[in-house]
Amino acid sequence: MTRFLISRAAQSVLVICVVYTCTFWLLMAAPGNPFIGVKQPPPAIIHALKVRYGLNNRWHAYWAYPWRVITRGDLGPTISYANWTVLDVIRSSLPISVSLGAMALLIALWLGVGLGMLGALTRGHWPDLALTVGSLLGISVPSFVIGSILLLVFSTYWALLPSGGWGDLAQVILPAGALAVGFLAYIARLTRIGMLDEFSADYVRTARAKGVPPGRVMVGHILPNATLPVLSFLGPAAAALLTGSFVVEKIFAIPGMGEDFVNACLDKDIPLVLGIVMVYTVLLVAFNLLVDIAYVFADPRISLHG
Amino acid sequence: MVLFWVSMRRVLIIFSGLLMLIFVGGFWISGGDAVRSRAIIFCQAGQIHTLDPAGMTWMQDIRAGLALWQGLTQYNPTTLRPIPGVAKNWTLSANGRTYTFHLRRRARWSNGDPVTSANFVFAWKRMLQPATGAGYVEMFFHIAGARAYFDALAKTRGRPRPFSSVGIKTPDLHTLIVHLNAPCPYFLDLMAFPPFFPLNQQSMARFAVRNGASFSYYNLRFTRPPYLVTDGPYRLTAWKFHQYLEFKPNRYFWARSTVHCRELRIVSFSDSLSAFRAYQSGAVDVLSFVPPEFTAALLRQQQAGLRHDVHYRPVFGTYYYIVNCARAPLDNPLIRRALDLAINKKQIVDDVTRLHEKPLTVLVPPGTIPGYHSPHGLAMNVPEARRLMRRAGYPDGRGLRPLKFLTNDTDSMNMLVAQAIAQMWQRNLGVRIRIATEESKAFNQDCVQGNFDIARAGWYGDYMDPTTWLDLFVSGNPNNHSRFTNRQYDQLMERAESKADPARRLALLTDAERLLVDRYMPALPLFQYTDGLMYHAREIGGIRSNVRMITLLQYIHWKHRPHGDTYR
Repeated sequence: MTRFLISRAAQSVLVICVVYTCTFWLLMAAPGNPFIGVKQPPPAIIHALKVRYGLNNRWHAYWAYPWRVITRGDLGPTISYANWTVLDVIRSSLPISVSLGAMALLIALWLGVGLGMLGALTRGHWPDLALTVGSLLGISVPSFVIGSILLLVFSTYWALLPSGGWGDLAQVILPAGALAVGFLAYIARLTRIGMLDEFSADYVRTARAKGVPPGRVMVGHILPNATLPVLSFLGPAAAALLTGSFVVEKIFAIPGMGEDFVNACLDKDIPLVLGIVMVYTVLLVAFNLLVDIAYVFADPRISLHG
Repeated sequence: MVLFWVSMRRVLIIFSGLLMLIFVGGFWISGGDAVRSRAIIFCQAGQIHTLDPAGMTWMQDIRAGLALWQGLTQYNPTTLRPIPGVAKNWTLSANGRTYTFHLRRRARWSNGDPVTSANFVFAWKRMLQPATGAGYVEMFFHIAGARAYFDALAKTRGRPRPFSSVGIKTPDLHTLIVHLNAPCPYFLDLMAFPPFFPLNQQSMARFAVRNGASFSYYNLRFTRPPYLVTDGPYRLTAWKFHQYLEFKPNRYFWARSTVHCRELRIVSFSDSLSAFRAYQSGAVDVLSFVPPEFTAALLRQQQAGLRHDVHYRPVFGTYYYIVNCARAPLDNPLIRRALDLAINKKQIVDDVTRLHEKPLTVLVPPGTIPGYHSPHGLAMNVPEARRLMRRAGYPDGRGLRPLKFLTNDTDSMNMLVAQAIAQMWQRNLGVRIRIATEESKAFNQDCVQGNFDIARAGWYGDYMDPTTWLDLFVSGNPNNHSRFTNRQYDQLMERAESKADPARRLALLTDAERLLVDRYMPALPLFQYTDGLMYHAREIGGIRSNVRMITLLQYIHWKHRPHGDTYR
């Protein structure tokens, strides 16, 4: 286990370094100068700003940012919101994106597993067919369409829920729902297929032969095995959901990290883009690692020494 | 098997519990406070970029700045003419070059300190340090010695000049004397503009960033509550990044009785659609813009009497195209004129933008500056345009390479207008256009570097004087993206600058603009921008309509609150 963890940690550090390097050089290669607006300041001002952000020398900047993170834990001020540091921005927007994503994932996980079970149990009958069609729609219809439909129905026509913003529990429901639908559909499909595969397995037949009631066979025996693919899907899904969805955040006017990221890219706000990409990378790597560990607990067939 | 199931169940439950914990934790950290019903929620078109007056260039920043600070002068809310602010009065020397400002003894900072001339000198000196990174530093170059002082500091080698060489003097705490290089009729206007605001150096001292032993610049954290100290109608009591800014009246403000709004929240949304939805649902009281997607429809509803909350008007801004005068074949003024003559501007505003803006043949919006007479410019004339093309050696566009047209993607309208005009040029003159769209930062850089033949441009005047446009075409101006150089023009501008008599000065500026829009066409004017706000005038008072869309939040107040005391 220790050896496994050490090697995975080393791999994770390598991944983070590669992502940082690629992001940095892509940002440097992208056209545009973050310090030139519609009204152009004198060259001395542009130079002074470049010096302040450490961007007057590419190689220097490349090493300076990781060094800053290690020594001060921050990337310094952002370019487009000069009163705020990268850490300030992430600190204010990450909790929003993360809590919204957590709620979306909870909905997706439990509803997805539940609906997947229902589909497997009623295979070939109308609930299963409806679920198959529904999940296909859920996977293929993009979240901004679902978000807009939810808004139209629940906010505009019925006026049950607020149209956007953040700070009130009622404001979480619609965006979390919109964000969850795609993942929910995917989890439902994975669960359904997993369960159908397990139906004919030997241990299921044994359990039935022993006289275990069908309900217990279902929940106690089949479900744990059937949801293993779901578990491996949860890693990337968690990273994707927790770091925010630009589209859903935009539709529901949620001040999350997705919007900051897109704006930072457009403004060529190099420190902020680097900061957000690093947060995303660390989360993605961490969740994948967590899922790998969780797998070991969940499935004794997977050996760490194998 | 039992062990196995327990593990899986445990994994799922632990995972769900973790998610629940994350949700509750994140929500608890990030949730905003409830908005009290007495607060006016003012929605801006974009997020605040900075509250450092030295860095303010965006409209939303300037609007917030004008609510938090007050300069030597302030704007009259309707005419925008400068009226006494921190300075209770002033005198101008006979040669028009020396202003003596007398500061109000009652002027106070939000921490109770008196506002003194030293606060102005401190802020202005900071503006002139290149390390401050002040975008509008050139406005200070009207002050004698300021440019030389800045340039000396900007050079890495050589001795810096002493600040005493700059024409700013403070005989006492309530007197400020400013010597100018030349008469500047709009200097008092500038005194109301954020870069000239005073700063409270005591409250900023702890944010000084040192480079070794020497001071280098101020950490901009000083602009955040609770550190920010301002001298205007409001003080900043809260600022949640990306969510809202909360303003409450500055109880030390000398004109405290003019501020009737007890709490003001500044918000913004990432897109105009969500902002409009929030406005429609009552979550926002004032929209500082009219959503472009719906402007035409909203104006129609307003005309039909279905709504009364759209406040829309022509403003102090021009939508135009710049032509790269340094690159063949457009270095030939004949072709530039032909291009202008071949555009049907009326059709653009009626059928493309469909907002019926005022088509322009000049750059400075006519009728906006008192005493300034605009030249005529060129009316559409296709036969004349075709004749000019023949004279330039490109009859029916034959032999002319395709021209690169550059636009930015900030507004979908830009592309539509460009396509319509490209079609007019193709049809009327046989000129072929290659349209390239770029994101703003790349677009701005390409404009600076001259990587275009024709580019979209828009300019909002910064002060009520024609030079806010006409300076853009002076040789060597960094914002002269058309790379237009003309000795006659430069001389006219220089002569105008040294004229103390305002009427004669404006007459010279008319002559200068005539050169641009009748003969040399470094820019092709299209139309005057229109802009507006949305709010219900029976609920909210104190918003005065003016040509620069400077909404002075100082005067905003509830007239009648429709929601009673309910929480929103």
